[in-house]
Amino acid sequence: MGSLRDVLSPFTAWKHVIETPVTLKNPIGREAADRYRGFHQNDTEKCIGCGSCETICQNAAIDMVPVDDPKEGDSGLRPQIDYGRCCWCALCVDVCMTGSLTMSNEYTWVDTDPDAFRFIPGVDEKPWDAIAKGYQRPGERMLSGLTRPEMMEMEPEARIDNFDEIVAGYSREQAVLEADRCVECGLCVATCPVHMDIPDYIAAIREGDYDLGTQILYETNPFSEVCGRVCTHKCETVCAAQYEGEPIAIRWLKRHIIDNVSEERRLEIVGTPQVLPTGRKVAIVGAGPAGLTTAYDLARQGHAVTVYEAQDHAGGMMRYGIPEYRLPYDALDRDIAVIRAQGVEIKTGVRIGSDITLAQLKADNDAVVLGIGLHMGRSTRVPGSDAPGVEAAIDLLRRITAGEEVPVPKKVAVIGGGNVAMDIARSMARLQKQKYGAVGVTVTALEDFAHFLADKEEVTESIEEGIEILDARGPQEMVTFKSGKRKGEVKGLRTWKVISIFDDQGRFAPQYDEADEIVHEAEMVVEAIGQMADVSLLGDELTEALQWNRGRIAVDADGHTSEPWLWAGGDSVHGPDVIHAVADGHKLAASVSAMLAAKAEVAK
Amino acid sequence: MRELIEHLTPRYSLGAPVFQRPGLTFVDVKRDKLRALLLDLRDKHGFTHLVLLTAVDWLEEGRFQLTYLLNNRAADQTLGLRLYLDRANPMGDTIHDIWPTAATYQRELREMFGIAFPGSPRVDEEFILEGWTDMPPYRRDFDTLAYSQQTFVERGGRETHEPRATMKHKLYPEG
Repeated sequence: MGSLRDVLSPFTAWKHVIETPVTLKNPIGREAADRYRGFHQNDTEKCIGCGSCETICQNAAIDMVPVDDPKEGDSGLRPQIDYGRCCWCALCVDVCMTGSLTMSNEYTWVDTDPDAFRFIPGVDEKPWDAIAKGYQRPGERMLSGLTRPEMMEMEPEARIDNFDEIVAGYSREQAVLEADRCVECGLCVATCPVHMDIPDYIAAIREGDYDLGTQILYETNPFSEVCGRVCTHKCETVCAAQYEGEPIAIRWLKRHIIDNVSEERRLEIVGTPQVLPTGRKVAIVGAGPAGLTTAYDLARQGHAVTVYEAQDHAGGMMRYGIPEYRLPYDALDRDIAVIRAQGVEIKTGVRIGSDITLAQLKADNDAVVLGIGLHMGRSTRVPGSDAPGVEAAIDLLRRITAGEEVPVPKKVAVIGGGNVAMDIARSMARLQKQKYGAVGVTVTALEDFAHFLADKEEVTESIEEGIEILDARGPQEMVTFKSGKRKGEVKGLRTWKVISIFDDQGRFAPQYDEADEIVHEAEMVVEAIGQMADVSLLGDELTEALQWNRGRIAVDADGHTSEPWLWAGGDSVHGPDVIHAVADGHKLAASVSAMLAAKAEVAK
Repeated sequence: MRELIEHLTPRYSLGAPVFQRPGLTFVDVKRDKLRALLLDLRDKHGFTHLVLLTAVDWLEEGRFQLTYLLNNRAADQTLGLRLYLDRANPMGDTIHDIWPTAATYQRELREMFGIAFPGSPRVDEEFILEGWTDMPPYRRDFDTLAYSQQTFVERGGRETHEPRATMKHKLYPEG
């Protein structure tokens, strides 16, 4: 029942008919507020195609579509947005890892084709692409943290007189915090030489399922405990988190998984070969990461594998190159124990060439794999480089590991700026501290600090430990005693300031400022400028027969040499790096295994 | 403001105040003291304006928070009263007789959070959601994406690509 007012009020409204309307006649084209959330903009150069925008979208409005070929750290995909679904909430902008995705304040657009409202911002050109106004995420990385939890490390004073491991590893709380920063985009997987399932094992940490984590690690890498400590972690250089903060500490998270699974449990999880023995025999020369990974894969396929190792213990450069304070021997031994458990026989203290010949191995096996590493130090060949007191870094490191007596003078000079130079400098510093209570090591590197080869943390930690690092110094001469009882022995290193290292064509041709000369006092000068493979085990005949590539044994993509029975991989073929050696090991095993399978077919 | 809070705290057993910034203060209040406090504030202390009434879903704590934001125009002071309700059976008290505009807020909270305000005018009528049958959508356990996928038709011609699989396919197909 309406009142009288209800009946009359429509007529009273007529009094407004001559007033100016407060509504807009044509709202199209009216500018929105400065921070209005309108159509998206994407800086496609900045975008890495991680797909976090698609994952977070609550309306399934975003598809990742190929725009370019993928390359390291960039999937080549870019977000395509369906504006029939977009609710303009801007979560995609808030989660964007690079800050490439923003919103303009343009919101009006008329088109009769519904499909026009689905496009790739930044790729399909739009009138609002250059509008500066609109919504940008306030501040950096609102939805996830910018920094890693701080890793507990031994203080320099506590670590300098011993070889105890420096890094403590993450606690459960720290690891979960760090795992939570990962958006699981998986861009890192392509960059890892063995393509470890990084997002999956990080997810396992978040779930607290370390058994699953271990299982995932072992699918691609039998040296996860080693790699969790010393991997060159190329994955972290492409991590989506690095653009506005620190990359995820992938290496430390890997270590965290292994740290939380006992050796016995690890053996249970990995298990033993579940196939019948094939009766095929493979000999592997060198018990380093390449050789042992090959052995692990082949043994799990049922082949009988024997690894021959010249040193007294297995591990290769992981044991005899990397110092114990970075990689404790028992950590390495746990990785090797799992490989041994697969039935791999490791014969240590057997040198091929002298104890057994390669010809003998060829005769006794279906295939032979060389993973001999780079165990001979290169020399600077400057005057005096053959004098007593001049040492090769790689040889000294091996002797320290083997427990041999090494000379420890009060003053040591190291030539080189890579990680091996840091390893020997820090090892000698520890021995000096033990013997004299003081450190006296000077590292002279050809490169300046802006182009340094060693890892940043290695340089930082070396300096913390009292080691002097001089950049851009080129060795000219090992200064020796000219007379007296120590005549001919080293007493110092003479260096010049480096002006440039390479010439216009990029060839190695150092230029020096001869006026800037220093003589570094030292009774030992260590050369750490690179290593080469000791290929004397091949013998003359095989050396002649094999094809070579710039001093390295030439191999095809699978690691097969020019001899049908012989494969080669690891550092000696592809340069020094544990994870690359593991990748090589998988490749070698796959190639050898394919050949053995073909042989079995023929035998039928 | 501090004086007023000191005056009110023992009378209405208020919680510890948070002085957010000059002119903005928050304080917790128990449900049984709310009505008396609101009347006191409105009639004796100049808080004549209800700025808004809203809620927060503290899913992990099993409770909803109601926030009554009041303003004293003359003193340029805003006071936020926070009140907690059991999430399992969320029941608020209507204040539409104190501020008529509260009825609209309460109707919205009923629809978006599922908080009941018995006696509030038209509280059970649809507010902005038409024909809604699902869980109240501002509850944090409401899965927006799943709802959107179930409810809305996918427009044809869409295809997405997973970054990791794309990179594997193109960069290392054999590995």
